[in-house]
Amino acid sequence: MTDLMLLAPEITIVVTGLVVLLAGLFMSTPSKKILAYFSTLGCIIALVLTINSLGTSATLFSGTLGINALSQFFKLVFLTVTLLVSIASIKYTEGNSHTEEFYTLVLFATFGMMMVASAEDLMVLFVAFELASLATYALAGFEKQNPRSLEAAMKYFIAGALSGALLLLGISFVYGASGTTNISAVAQNADLLMSSPMGLLSVVLLIAGFGFKIALVPFHMWAPDTYQGSPSVVSALLAAGSKKMGFVAAFKVFIVALIGLQADWTIAFAILAVITMTYGNVVALSQTSVKRMLAYSSLAQAGYISMAFVVLTPMALTGGILYALSHGFMKAGAFIATAAVVYMVFKDDKKSEIPDHIDNFKGLGKRMPITALSLTIFVFALAGIPPTAGFVSKFILFSSTIESGFVWLAVIAIINSAISLYYYARVVKYMYFIPAEGERVSEPAPYVVALLIAVFGVLAIGFWPEPFVQMAMNAADVLI
Amino acid sequence: MAIEDLAFLIPILPALAFVLTFFLGKKLPSGGAMIPIAAITGSFLISIVITINMLANPEHVISQSYHWFSILNLGILIDPLAAVMLSMVSFVSLLIHIFALGYMSHDKAQSRYFAETALFTAAMLGVVLSDNILQFFICWELVGLSSYLLIGFWFEKPSAASAAKKAFLTTRIGDVMFLAGIILLFTDIFKLVNGTIPDGVYLLRFDEIFSFIPELSAMTATILGYEISHLTIITLLFFGGAVGKSGQFPLHVWLPDAMEGPTTVSALIHAATMVTAGVYLVARTFPMFLAAPQSLIIVAYVGAFTALFAATMGLVMNDLKRVLAFSTISQLGYMTLGLGMGAVIGAEAVGISIFHLINHAFFKALLFLCAGSVIHAVGTHDMRQLGGVAKVMPITAATMFAAALALAGLGIPGTRIGASGFLSKDPIIEAAYLFGEHGGSWFPYVFAIVAALLTSLYIFRLLFMTFTGEPRSDYGGHESPASMTVPLGILGVFALIFGALTTKVFNGFLSTTFLNDFVHMDFHELAGLGGYELAHTAGHHEPLLILWMPIIVALIGLLIAFVVYYLKLIDMSDIVSRNNPVYKLLYNRYYQHQIFTELFSIKFIYEGIALAGFYLEKSLDWIVSGISGFIIEAGEVLKKAQTGVIQQYATAIITGVGLLLILVELVTEVF
Repeated sequence: MTDLMLLAPEITIVVTGLVVLLAGLFMSTPSKKILAYFSTLGCIIALVLTINSLGTSATLFSGTLGINALSQFFKLVFLTVTLLVSIASIKYTEGNSHTEEFYTLVLFATFGMMMVASAEDLMVLFVAFELASLATYALAGFEKQNPRSLEAAMKYFIAGALSGALLLLGISFVYGASGTTNISAVAQNADLLMSSPMGLLSVVLLIAGFGFKIALVPFHMWAPDTYQGSPSVVSALLAAGSKKMGFVAAFKVFIVALIGLQADWTIAFAILAVITMTYGNVVALSQTSVKRMLAYSSLAQAGYISMAFVVLTPMALTGGILYALSHGFMKAGAFIATAAVVYMVFKDDKKSEIPDHIDNFKGLGKRMPITALSLTIFVFALAGIPPTAGFVSKFILFSSTIESGFVWLAVIAIINSAISLYYYARVVKYMYFIPAEGERVSEPAPYVVALLIAVFGVLAIGFWPEPFVQMAMNAADVLI
Repeated sequence: MAIEDLAFLIPILPALAFVLTFFLGKKLPSGGAMIPIAAITGSFLISIVITINMLANPEHVISQSYHWFSILNLGILIDPLAAVMLSMVSFVSLLIHIFALGYMSHDKAQSRYFAETALFTAAMLGVVLSDNILQFFICWELVGLSSYLLIGFWFEKPSAASAAKKAFLTTRIGDVMFLAGIILLFTDIFKLVNGTIPDGVYLLRFDEIFSFIPELSAMTATILGYEISHLTIITLLFFGGAVGKSGQFPLHVWLPDAMEGPTTVSALIHAATMVTAGVYLVARTFPMFLAAPQSLIIVAYVGAFTALFAATMGLVMNDLKRVLAFSTISQLGYMTLGLGMGAVIGAEAVGISIFHLINHAFFKALLFLCAGSVIHAVGTHDMRQLGGVAKVMPITAATMFAAALALAGLGIPGTRIGASGFLSKDPIIEAAYLFGEHGGSWFPYVFAIVAALLTSLYIFRLLFMTFTGEPRSDYGGHESPASMTVPLGILGVFALIFGALTTKVFNGFLSTTFLNDFVHMDFHELAGLGGYELAHTAGHHEPLLILWMPIIVALIGLLIAFVVYYLKLIDMSDIVSRNNPVYKLLYNRYYQHQIFTELFSIKFIYEGIALAGFYLEKSLDWIVSGISGFIIEAGEVLKKAQTGVIQQYATAIITGVGLLLILVELVTEVF
């Protein structure tokens, strides 16, 4: 019984999802709004339960699941993002007859991510990984009438299926060489892996599998299309939540299980981090769709976080893990702000082809002041300007990189940050310095609430980094 | 609940008022002015209660620290110095806010005005009660930012916009020095503690800083062959910040132009906030200055020179507000001079200087509000077009006369009878005399005494030209509404009697600033570190003439002004003419403008850059636009890799796996 209590946040999420799904069958479309509120409540309860269990450390079910500072920290990230998405979606799903399916999928995807964070066994990890993936495939294609949404889902699914296969192949090589799928047991049998060429092969295959979720170049190609085509709230979940699932899985598999092959995967991550951040930033420069721009910026951010694998000191991992939380707030916030803009555009013109075009952000400061101000804070945070979460995370990550002697890597990352300021500042320019082409629009309350929570998170980490850094440090201690 | 637990509200209330007024002000009557007024009333009440409590028990200071991150903290420190400043700032700011109710009532952007003044007040209160130098600096910068916003309040006027920019950039020079001082201080202290810091010790808190004074003064650097202690460098850099904020020579150029904002803003900048921040910075870190005598001497000289320099220019200005602006610079010079006198009288210097600061706050706020009242009613601030205003605005005239008495410093030496300016300026001049007597130079004293003569002269010139005689142009006028005259009356009473009431308690109270349960400094030991000795001031008596000197020169100034501008016995047209080189020099403010903008900026910087630019521009241009062009072009090209065809995506993934394998192998081989 006490064992199950440790999984209380997960159980809350699953039960909420099931209740929403079943209750939705018997409800009329207008009254389904209540399901949205109910799901939000479920997220809040799960979040509180997770915060309460931050200090616990235990293993469950014959060592297949683990509760520790790392898993709970990432659950916190996932639940925060889900909470933001869930609040914002109250408006998005308004009057939609499939509200219950939307929320159930969001909650199941979250459940999958949380299980990945806790998984101590490669098979459990894979199944949870696929659970989250399958739910998000369906979410990406949620707008059935919209060909872009369907195309997004289809590309995401095919790339996902392929990557899933590579991931499974990688796991099977690990199992074949080490004779176990238990993460800590794999670490003990590291000699077997190192002596065999299968070691390197499995490393590369696993990187490809996780790189798909993290969106590392060249496994990223689905991401811009999918982020742009999906509903913005779903993009928020993908970029801010499911990407972090890739990271926590990679943290566990590489740093714990395959630490013996460190020499190989450090090089692989170094190459990918540099390519990914540079590619992401450079291509983001010429985007006219804000969601696409955010997609490429999220590639770049993934590149920064991947530096933690290269440096591999406790401080760098702290930076990377804290970056995951900060990025959750910043990116989810930015996509939700875009969702508010898309809502505004559709109000004027139902048939808009690219509702998130940068032209639609003209004079947003006058038309939707709260959204514009929040988005300004998010993009500046993404660029790493103090006093925001983005600055604190980048500072810890980059300074630890320099301290460990990887000056070249830090220089590349800093140059990249400088480049990124161009396209982030451009959004701000459109919002505040180019006159508006429309009336002021009243901002829907759910969007505003979600945005304000995200702003609060971004600024809280920026002004008061200490407790968050401490949490991330505890999480990093689990790995090393 | 003890009042101390509310101390944190002092800056928080106006800060909240800023947020509320900014967002909701437009929908409320009179631009939501009631929110900041209520908030600042709250701050004032808390401050004054704290001050009164502290008067009874000055050794017990309020010090609360909260952990911020690593070795930094946020916190409040209210010792006698801070308590006095808090009360003054909140009180003067409150009166100015009430006055602005009437003054700004015709302005469309009222709510923005009140929001910004609330922020300004919050930032200044934050400066005053910071217990560490970093938080001090953050609030200090906020003061700079809000002053920029307020000076440029009427930003559609090009002169206002450029004045705001000038104020911001000029003070920025000082700010950079201040920041450099903080960085040097931090690295030095960090080196001294050897990287091991016990829990609960915050390196940049004032008590910690002061405890490192002996070590800092022992660290030396060699600059241009001179051995200079780090403490001297740090204090000079801090003083650089003070020079910028407090408008000391040569960074005073922004202050006269800062008149472009609403007159109430000028009153706020000149009396209660901003300019006093610099003096406060030196006072706050005074133990460091005491142990660095070279810095103190520089402080004294800069102060004395500024006092005289600005007074000469105040003499010839024809714009009401500009006269007052130069008067502020001159009076700030006195305060700085007072601090510099620490070289002979030790920490007592803080007492006399801050006493003058407080008195100055009252009478200068009053002078500006009177000027505002005149401008509000008459619509011009050129004194040549005014005259005889006293007939239409008797209350304003009377209060302005009171303020002038205070500024000129009229009173009876040896007693406590006199306007507040007298009781505070006199000790500064006496200290300057003592400084000369104790082997320092006589320059500060001579400068201070001549400046006193000019002060009296220019302020009575202003008074006679504006309020007496016949109107020199057609203006309709009326006495201002009660919301304006009531603050004038209150300030008028303060300007006259505040000094007399408090002069006894003040010095004793402030002397505990560095002798209490938070910090306990031994001034003689500090002076010893600096290699000099403090004079024993107790029972010292100056010659009678010296004692009477300030009042004599003030009366001479009054007399000259009376003869020339009231009786008009002497025709000034010969002297006041463009042919008189002295007048021309003064009127053109020593050609500083020309020197600064034309000679210095244009000749050296602009033309220098233009010349260098001629060769560099093309290449720089090419490099900058080349790089950015290349990156953007690269983006365009790489964008095409994103074909949208899923089959190619799948190919990329598989190829990626293969390439990654090969690359990792290659890199492992090579390294």
